[in-house]
Amino acid sequence: MVATQPSAAATVAAPILTCNGLRKRFGGRQAVDGVGFEIAQGETYGLLGPNGAGKTTTISIVCGILARDEGTVTVAGQPLDVGSTKAKGAIGYVPQDLAIYPDLTARENLNFFGRLYGMGGRDLARRVDEILAVVDLADRAKERTEHFSGGMKRRLNIGIGLLHTPQLLVLDEPTVGVDPQSRNAILSSVEALSAEGMGILYTTHYMEEAERLCDRVGIIDEGRIIAEGTRRELVALVGGLDKVALSATGNLHDAAEAVRAVEGVEDVTQHEDGIDVLVAEARWRLAAIMEAVSRDGVSIRTVEVVEPDLEAVFLHLTGKALRE
Amino acid sequence: MLRTALVISGRIVRQRVRDRTALIFAILTPLGLALAFSVLIPNDFSSFHTRFVVVDQDAGPLARVFVDDVLGGVVAAGVADVDTLGTENAATEAVRAGQASAAIIIPAGFSAAIQTGAATELRILGGEYAISLEVARSVASRFANDVGAVQLMVATAFMTGGTTDPGTIQRAQAAMADPSPISIVTQATERLQANLATFYGAAMAIMFVFFATQYGALAILADRQAGTLPRLLAAPIAPGSIVMGASLAGLVLGLISMTVLVVATTVLQGASWGPPVLVALLIVAAVIAAMGISMVVSSLARTAQQAGGLNAIVAFSMAAIGGVFVPLSQAPETMVGLAQITPHAWFLRGIDTLSGGSPGIADIAPSLAVLLGMGIVTGAIGLARARRTLVPR
Repeated sequence: MVATQPSAAATVAAPILTCNGLRKRFGGRQAVDGVGFEIAQGETYGLLGPNGAGKTTTISIVCGILARDEGTVTVAGQPLDVGSTKAKGAIGYVPQDLAIYPDLTARENLNFFGRLYGMGGRDLARRVDEILAVVDLADRAKERTEHFSGGMKRRLNIGIGLLHTPQLLVLDEPTVGVDPQSRNAILSSVEALSAEGMGILYTTHYMEEAERLCDRVGIIDEGRIIAEGTRRELVALVGGLDKVALSATGNLHDAAEAVRAVEGVEDVTQHEDGIDVLVAEARWRLAAIMEAVSRDGVSIRTVEVVEPDLEAVFLHLTGKALRE
Repeated sequence: MLRTALVISGRIVRQRVRDRTALIFAILTPLGLALAFSVLIPNDFSSFHTRFVVVDQDAGPLARVFVDDVLGGVVAAGVADVDTLGTENAATEAVRAGQASAAIIIPAGFSAAIQTGAATELRILGGEYAISLEVARSVASRFANDVGAVQLMVATAFMTGGTTDPGTIQRAQAAMADPSPISIVTQATERLQANLATFYGAAMAIMFVFFATQYGALAILADRQAGTLPRLLAAPIAPGSIVMGASLAGLVLGLISMTVLVVATTVLQGASWGPPVLVALLIVAAVIAAMGISMVVSSLARTAQQAGGLNAIVAFSMAAIGGVFVPLSQAPETMVGLAQITPHAWFLRGIDTLSGGSPGIADIAPSLAVLLGMGIVTGAIGLARARRTLVPR
């Protein structure tokens, strides 16, 4: 793993979550291989990686859903395992898939899960009202959720995770399949919760979400955290490389090979719509890159030069794109 | 753990009560079928066939006539199979076990009594089905009437023929005084006939209770498919409470289903189930057995749909074997034996016992013990297997 300095939040506040050496194997596949990280109170920590990288398995272990083969998990000072009820009570879990009952109303869903967290009576009723207001479903509280739109279901899905006012909120790709408006609302909610001091573990394969929300990011690939730190720290790992994103059609494979030979080019990734190039001093190399691409009759539609971001970091560290 | 299980079972029951298919399968269909069967099926069958046992304690010539000629005629006519047993106890046990629908006891001294004009009797031990019992009684009555008629005819001949033998005159006078010297005594064994409304109510109740209990057993699979299982597992609850909650829901739904059927058939059809407390005990035992079997069957499936299909196959197969569709007294002996592995046969046997006479708990103890035993064994296996499904896939 590429080490960076711990963030201010991590060093100042006591960790709400500590994971060490997590390992999980499914048959012949090592899904999680020695994952470890800490989240401080009030810190938003992102697990960024492509599909199948081990994010959901890691989260399932952290939430006590899945038994681990090795490693330790401590939540709010309590060791956590599949059967530990006390530590689980400190976690609010928002799974990637919708986890609500379609034949129950929004209020019934909240009441049911609230009772599982030991809530009841007036406290539960008051908290349910608060959550319904927060997720903007107060006027639809008595409707069965099967009649809700996708965005409404997503909001309720998150609301259930917040119901018992957890110390650590775990969100597993909460914006997958969500329309842009709902997505923005979800991201704003997460920012607000973080501002209120809640520790948040957020998994995503959307680089821009990780950049927007997370104080620190762990880049996970093939079950291992390969780099960890703040955005600035991670971007520094790229070493000042720029990304040139070429949208093009034609023989992209040969074009990518041609670009690889250009001086200063560190990495080239070919995808469906074109080629991404990591290169030092892009403005001086751009002409050479475009010439190399055009040589084999490839038609360039757009060219974009972008500053290094987490996607570039991922590309730099793994040689592949986040969405592969 | 119990509190959490109750919360989970409450949610499942609420969902299923709202679910119209559950209402249809667990209550309306069995009730409708019970009503239809009891109204449409008459008390006789065109292809009637039954099984009797006979005990010849007399071994005299008239007893042989009755066994060989009269009962032999019944066998030849294809109405019944008749087996001869050595003792009344063996015959009673055969009737109790459902291996025969009635037993005919020819007492010692039967032939001698008829020959001397003294009164005697043929005793019929009734079994599970009134029709079979009536056939046995009719056959015996016919024989008694024939014997009476012959005796009367002979006595008349002697009296008018001018015999002077005092013994002959005395027997002729006795015969004339009692033209029907053979009494037909009908006795009930412990297995009493439930009326048709009760029988079909009970039969449909035990068959369709599997559809009610399966909703509990399917709940974990449904949670896994719906994506709610990870959220349940992430909650601060013992994983076992999820399984316990599902089981409780199945039990509650099963009890609701059977109770509604008992009340409805009593009110609508005048079904006579027996003492309410004992009926309730039997129902609880039957629901536990059905729940256990549903748990095991559901644990073999990977999806709720698969489990629903398997449960239906098991429910209908066991019903067919267990005497829901074909009365066991009319079934081949191998089927009667096979029926004992089904909760259906034991529940129906218990209800038969309760629906007549003045039964006590001891009378239904075998049914209760077997049903609870089935429930405990299959339930333990089902729960153990269900816990293994508490892993998100």
